[in-house]
Amino acid sequence: MDSLIIEATEDSPKIIFDTVSNRFIISGESRPENAGKFYTPVINWIVNYEETLFSRKQETKDDSALVFIFKLDYFNSTSAKYIMDVLLIIKKFVDLGYKINIEWHYDKRDDDMLDAGNEFSDTVDLKFDFIEY
Amino acid sequence: MTQVSTAFEVYQFMSEKNILIAFTGYFDHLVTTSLLKNIKNKLSVIQSATGIDKKVYNVLVESIENISKYASSRNPHQNIAMLLLCKSDDHFTVITGNHILNNDIPALKEKLDKVAGLSLIELKKMYREQMLSKRTHENSAGLGIIDIAIKSDNQIKYDFKQLTELTSFYLFQTEINIQK
Repeated sequence: MDSLIIEATEDSPKIIFDTVSNRFIISGESRPENAGKFYTPVINWIVNYEETLFSRKQETKDDSALVFIFKLDYFNSTSAKYIMDVLLIIKKFVDLGYKINIEWHYDKRDDDMLDAGNEFSDTVDLKFDFIEY
Repeated sequence: MTQVSTAFEVYQFMSEKNILIAFTGYFDHLVTTSLLKNIKNKLSVIQSATGIDKKVYNVLVESIENISKYASSRNPHQNIAMLLLCKSDDHFTVITGNHILNNDIPALKEKLDKVAGLSLIELKKMYREQMLSKRTHENSAGLGIIDIAIKSDNQIKYDFKQLTELTSFYLFQTEINIQK
């Protein structure tokens, strides 16, 4: 499956889902005019990627960890629901036995972004690595 | 026609009240984006170790997005709205104003009163519930208000000024303390 790359705009984040390095990065600002239109293909891509992961594991016995990296300056409450959807899929992958690390990057001045990460982590019951910048 | 003296009064009023941004007119996503860009620049000047600029930006975006959530196709002024950002020594104030149908007021009022009466712990619980609930127009409007309440230590106020038999002007205010 091809990597997914979407460039950032003034109101939507940059997406780099790299299938070679298995690093999946969502970064920037997220308040798209139509959040559903932006996030639905992103979410579908992740759902479909499970098949690739499955065959990779079967054929090459490669079960190195995937890394999901959230590095957001700002996201609105509508985007929050979609980020939750992404995390729920990650949770499903973890339950299926895939190794996944989640990094939550936040501006060291931005307590709200740190709180938001903790809130997501608690809600989906996944451990996050918190990294300040 | 507006007189020069009136314009000067507006200037004086804005200076006295420390109004950083005053905008009234047609709001859509494009206008919002250019306004936010301008505001981000202004806020970056007062960037502080406590990240208050980030918090204010947060509340601003959610407040502006709330405007469009109560727009109705039956309302001729659906996207005409107002935005004010003021700064005093110890807090920022964000105020939005927009036209709303009188029929929509009771449900909105109920939602706002419910949020206003909650503690931070209760707000976070409500936020989590809404986050996991199905995505609907109504729910997402609620999520924005809850988010504003959490980020401002629940310093929200609102008012409705009746304009006609059909419509009112809905004012929504948030204060954000400047921690020193």
